[in-house]
Formats: sequence, structure tokens, C-alpha cells
Amino acid sequence: MTQEEAKAREIIDALAAKPIARWLNYSADWKDGALLHHLGFAEEHIGNPGIRALHGGVIATFLEFSAQVEIAVSLGKPILFKAVSISTDYMTSSKAADMTARVTIARAARRIAFLDATGWQDDAGKPVASARVCLRTGALAQS
Amino acid sequence: MTTTPPRPEINPAIGALLQSARDFLTHEHTLFSTLGLKPLLIGRGQMRFSFDTPASYDDGDGNVHGGFLTIVNDSIMGLTVFTTLEEFKPIATVNLRTDYIEPLKCGTRAVCTCDCYAIVDEIAFVKAEIRTENDSTLIATGSAAFMVGTRGPSKVSRL
Repeated sequence: MTQEEAKAREIIDALAAKPIARWLNYSADWKDGALLHHLGFAEEHIGNPGIRALHGGVIATFLEFSAQVEIAVSLGKPILFKAVSISTDYMTSSKAADMTARVTIARAARRIAFLDATGWQDDAGKPVASARVCLRTGALAQS
Repeated sequence: MTTTPPRPEINPAIGALLQSARDFLTHEHTLFSTLGLKPLLIGRGQMRFSFDTPASYDDGDGNVHGGFLTIVNDSIMGLTVFTTLEEFKPIATVNLRTDYIEPLKCGTRAVCTCDCYAIVDEIAFVKAEIRTENDSTLIATGSAAFMVGTRGPSKVSRL
């Protein structure tokens, strides 16, 4: 593990200890130098029990949290930066299983950052949902 | 001065389904049964529920994580779409936006109000707002589009 990865791991571990992260069964690792974010499936993530799909809001929560971790690692600060907004597109149905997400930073400005988070289950080429997340990263970002 | 025409009543068959759904959500559903959901208004295209903000959704600062508000918005907006239908049809969330206005302390009871204001070509448009129950502070707003009448069980609402 490089020194940079060790610092990132410290930040991820700090954020993953928060109650919302535990509720999501959140974890993260690296693949090809990029962070991969993981939702560990739990029964309470189900929306419609008739079809056993993940709740759309749970998917959005996971993508929002993944974006928060991504920007924290990028800025080197163990802070859960507050969201201004999230807009999620649901592209295909989900199932009762883990989800993985990749996040890209579209623009990190002085006070806010825009990120794109895409989540999938079996096939990275067939995303379940994609979200544009806007986060406060300035001095007022911390509550 | 113009007046808004009264909305028609909920179709009785849909109303019966909503009653069953409400009972299930408030007593048996793994996620929703923890939220203390209480209906305050159920009308055609309109719904208002109060709910709890459990500590399990804490963002680490004593506030509920924004995603929790998106979960509530998505759920109540989806139910609101059903109140506009003449017969039961499955629905699916197409897209969903939440704007976070103020933080909400865990343990604070809040109210989600939804309005399904249009259905065009099988796409229902809904807006939502979440306020604190005690002093109506605006916490978050939401908007969503739902596809009505999706085909096959795999495309049914995520609700």
C-alpha cells in the first residue's frame, strides 16, 4: 500500500464508521488506481418486497455517500461534506444484492464540487442508476 | 380571482389498495416500520405523512444523512402517484432530485407533503417538501418523474 493509499484508507475508515455508512454496509477498495465503492445488501434496503428490488432512495443514498467519500479522499480531509443536491436517474431495475459504484469529480471548485456517481450490480456496463451530486466543500461545509 | 377546481376523489379500488399498503408499510416493512409513519392527508394526487428520524441514519454530526430524506421523498411521492390512478398499474421511478435546505436533527419528527401535479404520456410528475413538524422549517424539497404502467414484475416500483 502506498503512502497515499494509506492516507486515503484512514479517511475512508473514519467515514465508514458513521451510522449512515454502517446502515449502508459501506466499504471501498481500489481497482486500477480508482476507488470502488460498495453497498453491502441488507434486508432493510428493500423497497418493494414483492419484487425484492433495492429502494430507489437507498440507491441514491449510497451514491451520495460514495460521492462524499470520493471528495474527502481527493481533498485529503476526513470530513463528510454536506450535499446541496442530488439528482438520480434510474436506468434499469435493481435486485436484492450488493451494488458497486464509481465516482468521478466533474469539478471541484473552492466552495462546491460536482460529482458523478454511477452504480451497478452484475455488470459495470449496465448501470442501475447514475447521480449528479453537488457538495459544499468550503468553510461552511462542516456543521 | 380564480379558484382551483376541487380534485376528484381517489378511485375506491385504489383507496383499498392504499389502505393495505399503508398497513403493511407501517407494521411489517423492514425499512418503513421503523419510521413511525402517520398519514395526515390522503387525497387524489396529494399526500402528507409525518415520520420519525431514527439515529441509524445519523450522518455522524447528529443530523440525518441527506439520503434518508431522499428515501422518504421517493417513498411518499411514489404512493402519491397511485392515488391518481383509475386502476392499479405498476410504477417505476425514472428520476429523482432532492435539494437539501437545512439540516435535520435525528429524533426530530418531520412531515413530507407530496403533490402529483401532472401525468402526461404515462409519465407522472411529482414534487415534495419536507418540513419539521413543530415549526414547519423547510428541510428539503424534491421532484421526481415516475413511469406508470411498467411491463413485467421486474420493472415494478422500487417502493
